[in-house]
Amino acid sequence: MRPDGSRKRDINNTPDVNELGGRFSPDGKRILYRRIAKDAKITHDRWGSMGQLVIANADGSNPVAYGDDGDFPWASWSPDGKQVACLTKAGIEIRDLATKNVVRRMDRKGIFQQLFWSPDGKWFCGPANHMGESWTVVRMSIETGEVEPLAKYQNCTADWFPDSRRLIYSSRPANQEEADGGKLAQGVGQKPNYGWTQLWMTDTATKTRSLIYGEDGRHVYGGCTSPDAKYALFTRSPTDGGIETAVMHLMRLADTPSIGGESAALRKLFPKAKDSPKLTLGPGWEPHWTSGEIGGAK
Amino acid sequence: MRMVCAIALVAAAALMISCGSQTAPVSPELTALGTLEVTAELAAIPGAFPPNDMYDYAYVLKYRVLKVHRGQAPGGEIFVAHYNPLKPRSAVADDKSGKIGGQVELFRAGDVHRMALDQPVDQFFMGGIIDKYFGQPGLRYWAMWTNPGTK
Repeated sequence: MRPDGSRKRDINNTPDVNELGGRFSPDGKRILYRRIAKDAKITHDRWGSMGQLVIANADGSNPVAYGDDGDFPWASWSPDGKQVACLTKAGIEIRDLATKNVVRRMDRKGIFQQLFWSPDGKWFCGPANHMGESWTVVRMSIETGEVEPLAKYQNCTADWFPDSRRLIYSSRPANQEEADGGKLAQGVGQKPNYGWTQLWMTDTATKTRSLIYGEDGRHVYGGCTSPDAKYALFTRSPTDGGIETAVMHLMRLADTPSIGGESAALRKLFPKAKDSPKLTLGPGWEPHWTSGEIGGAK
Repeated sequence: MRMVCAIALVAAAALMISCGSQTAPVSPELTALGTLEVTAELAAIPGAFPPNDMYDYAYVLKYRVLKVHRGQAPGGEIFVAHYNPLKPRSAVADDKSGKIGGQVELFRAGDVHRMALDQPVDQFFMGGIIDKYFGQPGLRYWAMWTNPGTK
């Protein structure tokens, strides 16, 4: 679809399988995704290693499978689109797409899912086991392998801003106040004091973290910025990991930090946050944005 | 005659149960999986295990090694990562964990476990690892099979 929600169309037309995790190549000409069985249960933690990697033209034409089920796990485009970085138990593998061969191996330094290569080609990011804290978003220098923690404790689904300097990610801070006595949580079967997942960003140059969007009663995931870094895409769902209930939204980054809904507890923490308009794009999960023109109006 | 045979069988079974209570049979997985097999006492459980109804994780526990059955272990204490420790070992294995299991139902400080282990944990598990012992040097082992043990 276009970022105003129009021209939504199925570019694959593959009724016998499901597809997920679409990521456009940096030049916008191709898309990679994973093809899974229709009865496979999708989970937050595993989607990047589920099923088979497929790379197609951005309009869905000429899909080519790479390897078997589970191969090329968490494949992430290189800046030139000629390679992908894959995250395996044994480490990070950079694979040449033309030959499918591994051209470089690196220690994964505790990164365990959702690996993404920065647009400038210098960094990887992902949630990692670091300094005893799991789900710490880190960036890792591809040159030196050095790892730098950027957000500790319960963070995931990090993605790069186009400037490769900032990251957008989800975070569920500890010790969140339940101003309603836990009614919102109870309403969706959530355990008391579990908390709500919010959308944050970190500027690696200034080492500052800031809230982008939060809402008591919703878990916010799938943060992704527009190619001009003026907008953020994200999903909201009432249940954590609720892929089936996730709805995509678009918001101007200039209007953030923003808080949705009543969110009394969150508004106390961020009294200057706005209640900014957000465009609802409909059901979806882990959205991605390209400035390339896509055909495939089937 | 039939009665005598029946009594003899019952007696034999009782003898087997009695012996079994002193020396639990060793699961074949204990002697086959991993590179290290130990009997060790769970020294402590640091903090509470988080729920894993949404996210899978491994939790690092500290053990005092009582006996090394196979392989080589550093003396004294070792750190062992158990996958989703709130689940009984018999039901814990999934696609993410690879082959793991055992007969331990729950983890309690002071319990003795006989375990098949391997290391480093990163080679066996790619997921969240909660390590409250971060900063304490030592390999982190991956628990492949965990049965109750005896001192």
